[in-house]
Amino acid sequence: MPTLLQLKNVTKTYGSQDTKFDALKNINLKIDSGEFVSITGPSGSGKSTLMHIIGLLDNPTSGKVILENKNTSKLKENQLASLRNKSLGFVFQQFNLLSKTSSLDNTILPLLYSDIPQKEHKKLGIKMLDKVKIKNKASNTPAQLSGGEQQRVAIARALINNPKIILADEPTGNLDSKSGKNIIKLLKRLNKEGKTIILVTHDLSLAKLANRMITIKDGQIKC
Amino acid sequence: MLKPNPRELLKSSFKSIFKNKTRTLLTSLGIIIGVTSVILLISIGNGLKSFINDQFESLGSNFVIITAGKIFNEEGGFNNEGAYTTFSFNKKDVTTLKRKLKNINAVIPASQSTVKAKFQDTIKESMLIATTTDYAIYRKQKLKQGRWFNESEQKKESKVVVLGSKIAKNLFQNTYPINKKVSIGSANFKVVGVIEEVGGTLGGPSFDDYIYTPLETGFNFMENDGIQSIDIAVKNKEDIALIKKETEKILLDSYDEDKFSVFDQNKILSSINTILNTLTIALTGIAAISLVVGGIGIMNIMLVSVTERTREIGLRKAVGAYPRAILLQFLFEAVILSVFGGSIGILLGSIGTIALNNFFPAKVTIESILLAFGVCCAVGIIFGVAPARRASKLSPIDALRYE
Repeated sequence: MPTLLQLKNVTKTYGSQDTKFDALKNINLKIDSGEFVSITGPSGSGKSTLMHIIGLLDNPTSGKVILENKNTSKLKENQLASLRNKSLGFVFQQFNLLSKTSSLDNTILPLLYSDIPQKEHKKLGIKMLDKVKIKNKASNTPAQLSGGEQQRVAIARALINNPKIILADEPTGNLDSKSGKNIIKLLKRLNKEGKTIILVTHDLSLAKLANRMITIKDGQIKC
Repeated sequence: MLKPNPRELLKSSFKSIFKNKTRTLLTSLGIIIGVTSVILLISIGNGLKSFINDQFESLGSNFVIITAGKIFNEEGGFNNEGAYTTFSFNKKDVTTLKRKLKNINAVIPASQSTVKAKFQDTIKESMLIATTTDYAIYRKQKLKQGRWFNESEQKKESKVVVLGSKIAKNLFQNTYPINKKVSIGSANFKVVGVIEEVGGTLGGPSFDDYIYTPLETGFNFMENDGIQSIDIAVKNKEDIALIKKETEKILLDSYDEDKFSVFDQNKILSSINTILNTLTIALTGIAAISLVVGGIGIMNIMLVSVTERTREIGLRKAVGAYPRAILLQFLFEAVILSVFGGSIGILLGSIGTIALNNFFPAKVTIESILLAFGVCCAVGIIFGVAPARRASKLSPIDALRYE
């Protein structure tokens, strides 16, 4: 499988001089297309920082992030936004759905910033909600959905632009165990359909469900 | 290409704003009040101008007017001191003008004096205008009852009067006034006619309170026999400027230039319009302060909105929103808030103008609506830029972490 994402000597340092601290230290990592990778580690180990850098939401202090053979450190803010829109789908622990906005409108939010014509938005949104089995709640607002359902909407939103990589940051953190399991099942299914999944979790039992587990401690990859 | 396209951006901004209707209404209140006041004041200014123009038209045009005293100042406004002159013209001046001026219909002298008019037990103060029969013809006096005094009465210095509609009503109540006697000073005058109502004169003495009598008759009963004003009825409008010049020349042979004023109706109109324009601009400017206050209110709420929606901004950036898309969304929201308030203001201002028109001349113009609309857009942009820039500059990761 071709390499989809590569991190070369990535370091992320916060603070300055006296308060300086390295959240990530010289990280080297390769993720191939179609992989299901989990990133795990204790709280404060740097796994969220790693996910933000992989997701192009944050810049490394040094090192390179190569996504689809593009060195992202040389890209401007608008180009990064475009790459996030086309190649990455985010699933957050807090769901991050827009309140007072229907499931369908939440799902199609990334399409607003894409090249896909507006007339196709609704059709695609319904298709994605159907894929995560929540089509019947298309007009419901987040307040009218359970936690599991909200996360499904968030996954549908992550899938809408058909990105190569789904980045899931503690996607089951706010769910009961049954809903959590269903979300992991859904992610596994998406992986089987060809999506590259990067799951960030502190829960070892979930992390083990991935094809490859990366443990991070004190800003460094342990295995 | 702009992403999202402006239509989508507008839709999204509308949705965000109208999620909280009460807040939207309260935020727009400053703009609503400001625009309503601006529309009302401009409408009143415009209404007054057209009212005065109509009044002048109804009194007859094509006149060169001569008055005693210098009544205009150098800036084109009215000269207060000029109104209190003791100078007056005489009958010889009238004869000279009649003889020397060409292409004119009439030279109409008028002398005026404040008098007390009495009918039975009712006494009313009035202005007695002593003039000629030509006044009725060229000043287009329409009579409600009776007739204007005639040439023969003028020659015989008959004690006859024509009453303005208001003084007639005040003196005679329900009695038919024609051929009744009115006491002015020590003499009794026969009422021969009553003029139709002319209407208000915006604070000055009302023409409806005037009493008209033949010139010579008036001289017999007035304390002076001076002529305070002379109207020259010109045949063609195009000749007004030339006749004005000739008139000045003729009068300068007898008097110093600061003793009299020669002007036409346009001069008075433009002087009144200058005053009205200045007043309208000043009052509209004061009302516009509330637009600035409204704009600050919008900026305040937009800053609150940016803070409240920090996570949303982070999310939008995470899913691919360019900084410019975020900037435009918040800017559109500020402009929509302002234009929403402005539209309600325009509506209320227009309704207010229609209501006001029953009591006072007021007229909404398309220019005032466009001005108000333009100012609203400008207020939205000016006061929306700072919050929108703040939103667009948020780092996606800081925004997503915001609690």
